[in-house]
Amino acid sequence: MTAATRAGPAGVETGTDKRRDLEGLAAMVKDGDVVAVGGGLSSREPMAILRAMLCRNVRGLRVVGSAHGIDIDLLCGAGAVSCSSESYVGFEQDFGIAPNYRRACEAGDVRVDDSCCYTVVQQLRAAVMGLPFMPIRSARGTGFTDLHPEYKTMTCPYTGEELLLVPALTPDVAILHAQYGDAQGNLRIEGPPVLDHLFAKAARTVIASVEEIVPTARLVELGGITIPYFYVTALAEVPMGAHPTACYPFYAYDRPHTARYYEAARGGAERFAIDYLEPFIRDCPDHDAYLRRIGGEETRRRLASWATGTDAWMSLYRERVDA
Amino acid sequence: MTRDCSLGEMMIAAIARTIDDGTLAFHGFGSPLVQLALHVAKRTHAPNLVLIAGATYGVNPEPPFLTPTTNDWVMDRGAAFALDIEELFDLAAAGRMGRMFLSGLQIDKWGNCNVTSLGKNRLAMKLPGGGGGCNLACDVDHITLWTTGHRSPLDAKGNRRFRLVERCDFITNLGHRAGDGRDRRALGHRGLGPQWIVTDLGLLDFDAEGHARLRAVYPDVSVDEVQDNTGFELRFAETVETVAPPDRETIDLIRRLDPLRVHEKEVRPGDRKRRFAA
Repeated sequence: MTAATRAGPAGVETGTDKRRDLEGLAAMVKDGDVVAVGGGLSSREPMAILRAMLCRNVRGLRVVGSAHGIDIDLLCGAGAVSCSSESYVGFEQDFGIAPNYRRACEAGDVRVDDSCCYTVVQQLRAAVMGLPFMPIRSARGTGFTDLHPEYKTMTCPYTGEELLLVPALTPDVAILHAQYGDAQGNLRIEGPPVLDHLFAKAARTVIASVEEIVPTARLVELGGITIPYFYVTALAEVPMGAHPTACYPFYAYDRPHTARYYEAARGGAERFAIDYLEPFIRDCPDHDAYLRRIGGEETRRRLASWATGTDAWMSLYRERVDA
Repeated sequence: MTRDCSLGEMMIAAIARTIDDGTLAFHGFGSPLVQLALHVAKRTHAPNLVLIAGATYGVNPEPPFLTPTTNDWVMDRGAAFALDIEELFDLAAAGRMGRMFLSGLQIDKWGNCNVTSLGKNRLAMKLPGGGGGCNLACDVDHITLWTTGHRSPLDAKGNRRFRLVERCDFITNLGHRAGDGRDRRALGHRGLGPQWIVTDLGLLDFDAEGHARLRAVYPDVSVDEVQDNTGFELRFAETVETVAPPDRETIDLIRRLDPLRVHEKEVRPGDRKRRFAA
């Protein structure tokens, strides 16, 4: 294999001003791309970029990652996904199985290509290091080796033990949401990074929305940079860009909105289109329209109230939502 | 004064008893019973436990309450450090993780779990997937399995859809014997496999062959009931005991740790009324 044909992430992104608008970011995701969506479960998922992609009617995505929820379920519900290599897509014990994801898999619209967190970690590490594969001991003896004929076994030349080789994973696009960034694309993630730092280093293109674009010196003051600018292709300032997932310290998880989403998704494809896709995506020409639709400043204040104390924080989850 | 406890509290205490002091243990996501069991263990018999939180990877957190989803900043409050995802799984791969907790919509007689898909030849139902369970079931020293769905009520046609099954449709998490019949020990994994199954009916462990066997039942459950609700020929320990309820301090502790009663969502509605004298 020559350098020209070698798979792997591209070079370095040296632009000094990578600021775009949300639509500009969404346009960088093409039909058929292998897409790594950042964040995880109910936290820091790049929902505004995903919504902007759906407005552009993107199709045929292969999604890869660890533990996800409403992000992947929404993409499946809008018909944007053709293959899922995620490790988990669901709403934990709170709401349960992801209705759109499940329906799309069972209908054959989404190819089931499940993976497992450490397998994905090792595949991304291989890409980050420019190696063709990484070995693991685990997963042998499970259904995953049948599901993934691309995994190979080898006998370790040092110990003689059998190892499983998993190939490098180079996403076409990593789609991230961070708390802070600067104009050049340095990103600061607070709290669990999940796979975002590996996605950024392994992917060919990295796009990010951030709550606030600040001067580089401010990023350092806040505690430092998580992902340096030269991995990042473009970013946009999108306040509340992870809603309805959490982006602390700005806002907590919007459980009532998620309950409404879940109820619509559980009602079938048609009901989901009418009760969720129309009001929150098709009828929202831009992010400002979405923010107005979810209740504007009042909703933002409610979700930011976690910071006032444990009782306020707890009350965000106390509300009974029957799904 | 606390006089009795719920099934959820019984299960939390039973899971907590499987946790050894001085080890490193990790709870996954979507499992409030297990989260609470770890916090109970650390505050009672296992003060030296290294407790790693599910989706935040916080080390020894002291969350002020339990949240309905796991990847929430509440869950790593009080943690002075948080691992990243590579380090968490590296710990297991390198043999430093003492215990992990796994479940499935199917758990078979060898302790294999299926959280991927139902249907043998065609996809009948897509399940959420196993997260990192597949890797951890191979790498972690000991696994405690748990399920709140052991009881398998008859459907309209008089059939049962068992949670504890003869054979998983898909093996997400490896137990003691692979789908092709190979013994786990022949695969050379670091971990020793499942050690316990804590269910809504009782406790099972595994015999020398790696086959599940009934060790104890709750006071309101009979051995016959367990067999009726199990999809394979049950094996039994020499004596099948009655599960002891947690002491009152432990029950009070659970109630302080989970003021929103998040863990009850994991317990089936019909089981939420069960009470056990404490």
